[in-house]
Amino acid sequence: MTVWRAVASLACLGIVLMAPAAHAQILPSEPIAFGGGRVTIGADVSATYGSLDPGWFNYTDYEHSALRMLRVDVSAAVNAGAHVAVLGELRTENLGAVRPYALYARIRPWAKRNVDVNIGRVPPTFGAFARRTYANDNPLIGYPLAYQYLTSLRPDAVPASAQELLDKRSQGWRVRYTLGDQAADRGVPLVSAFRFDTGVQIHAENDLVRATAAVTTGTVANPLFHDDNGGRQIAARMELRPVAGLILGASGARGPFVGATAARGAVGDGHDREFTQSAYGGDVEYSRGYYLLRYETIVSDWRLPIVRPPVLDLPLRAVSTSVEGRYKIAPGVYAAARVDHLGFSEITAAQGTLPWEAPVTRVEVGSGFSIQHNLLLKLSVQRNIRDGGRLTPRDTLFAGQLAFWF
Amino acid sequence: MEIHTRMTQRTQRTRRAERGAPVQSVIVFLISFVSFVSFVSFVFVAQPTLQAPRTGSIRGRVELRRVVSPPERRPSVADPGAPAGRDLPDLRRSIVYLESAPRGAFETNEGGRAVMDQRNETFVPHVLAITTGMTVDFPNSDKFYHNVFSLSKTQRFDLGRYAAGRSQSVRFDRPGIVRVFCDIHSHMNAFILVFSHPFYALTDDEGRYRIERVPPGTYNVVAWNEGASSDPKSVTVHDGSIAELDFSVR
Repeated sequence: MTVWRAVASLACLGIVLMAPAAHAQILPSEPIAFGGGRVTIGADVSATYGSLDPGWFNYTDYEHSALRMLRVDVSAAVNAGAHVAVLGELRTENLGAVRPYALYARIRPWAKRNVDVNIGRVPPTFGAFARRTYANDNPLIGYPLAYQYLTSLRPDAVPASAQELLDKRSQGWRVRYTLGDQAADRGVPLVSAFRFDTGVQIHAENDLVRATAAVTTGTVANPLFHDDNGGRQIAARMELRPVAGLILGASGARGPFVGATAARGAVGDGHDREFTQSAYGGDVEYSRGYYLLRYETIVSDWRLPIVRPPVLDLPLRAVSTSVEGRYKIAPGVYAAARVDHLGFSEITAAQGTLPWEAPVTRVEVGSGFSIQHNLLLKLSVQRNIRDGGRLTPRDTLFAGQLAFWF
Repeated sequence: MEIHTRMTQRTQRTRRAERGAPVQSVIVFLISFVSFVSFVSFVFVAQPTLQAPRTGSIRGRVELRRVVSPPERRPSVADPGAPAGRDLPDLRRSIVYLESAPRGAFETNEGGRAVMDQRNETFVPHVLAITTGMTVDFPNSDKFYHNVFSLSKTQRFDLGRYAAGRSQSVRFDRPGIVRVFCDIHSHMNAFILVFSHPFYALTDDEGRYRIERVPPGTYNVVAWNEGASSDPKSVTVHDGSIAELDFSVR
């Protein structure tokens, strides 16, 4: 970590920790506002400590496990009248580099109509969980597998054959291929919950329907700030809210996944946009009284430039299913559980016919205790099972998390 | 004959009079007795009413010497749409109350109900003052869910999620300050001040208050606004008088 990174990270933390002094109380409970409410600053801080994860089930990249992470998010909104607002968020993990997680302008063309146009590094369009990745929105400590578990696919490097792909099963935390960038790096999840994509997004809503569509630079698995293949992703999501407490959602996205360098390395020029990721998702949320139930399934297909025999049966498909529930036991105390499964389509190579990535199942149960209304202690235990690959096939992991937000 | 007749009439009247004397005595006795009993009752039973202490009032004005702005929404960075408009809570209202008050006849724990509505993502009223034993209803007047809860030491409760037109209630049996939140809308909050006596008043738009029916005596009075309290001020209330007391809350 460079000195500047450390200074920036500490400054980020400083905003969070200095805020209490302004309000002369132990911890701030509300966003900091300036200019008559035109500027608001909020923050989310979560400190997680848990078991070592030798199976790399919870890693979000080579260095960061979701079970051992200090995450600081500072978000801000600047309202420049009834039609324009600028929103941004800085994030740092384990006091590393401070990254601009989000930065976009929100334009409301008609002040009295719920239609917004977002331009810049915009919020996720696809899926339900991507909009609630903050610790206070996630009843457990782990993330749903579809949004966190690193598969062995990379946008900047591709396997030359099916055999090479099968050799890399379960190594998504640090994988290396022969085509494209040959340095080891992390693979991608089905949908990234840790980065915003860049582009233009339009959103409209009324009491019954919320619809969002976006044209962005990357794909749901690999959101980007700088384009790497000259292609654009189109994503859309529609939510129906027929009765209070019930949300029915459907999402779809399609865009070029493989970067230009990797594609050229495999098949030469002119094919940059052929190697796509297509994703479809459905989700249901129902809540009433003390219950909250969520279900989400995502299907993702990738087309890769596999050039050597044995030839792959394209596309490579991954299917995730996640069921989550939360029940409030008493004021300030809840119990939660999530069952997650990631399955993959089969391919044939010298090793036989196998799923192209090792299927993973996770069961996580936990509980949350509110110390004050914006300070939450979570405890959880998760059982991870991986069917194949070279790494630890089973792990039982414990974790505790302290989450604070204002 | 005429004389005899007169004599006879007089004799008859005399005899009637002699026969009626005991009846009159009984009537007189009864009237006297009733009058005596009434007098005694009046003197010994009604006397406490006559001697009951007359009450006074405390009135004045609360000046807010700090700028309190309504809680803003958290920046909705992850939401693709701008949040809907909402009502802003009225933060000018203060509560003025006696720090301690005579107990007994003036203490009321007889229950009763109050309402704190959830309307356009705001608790209405933003500040509610009640006495112990009262029940507060929390109706949901919005089209979407709310989830009222409090983690205050005075009263912890969580009413769960409920839809428009529904209401849940909480009975408050302990005095203290209860901070109320919505678990779904983090910018929604309100205060419920629970007193063990009825000697408190809510200020009006201009900060004026009046505490009625205060028994004569010397009291410490405090003004409270949005979690901040003034220094206690001592005031003496006399029979039937109005004590003036102004506050500033910083």
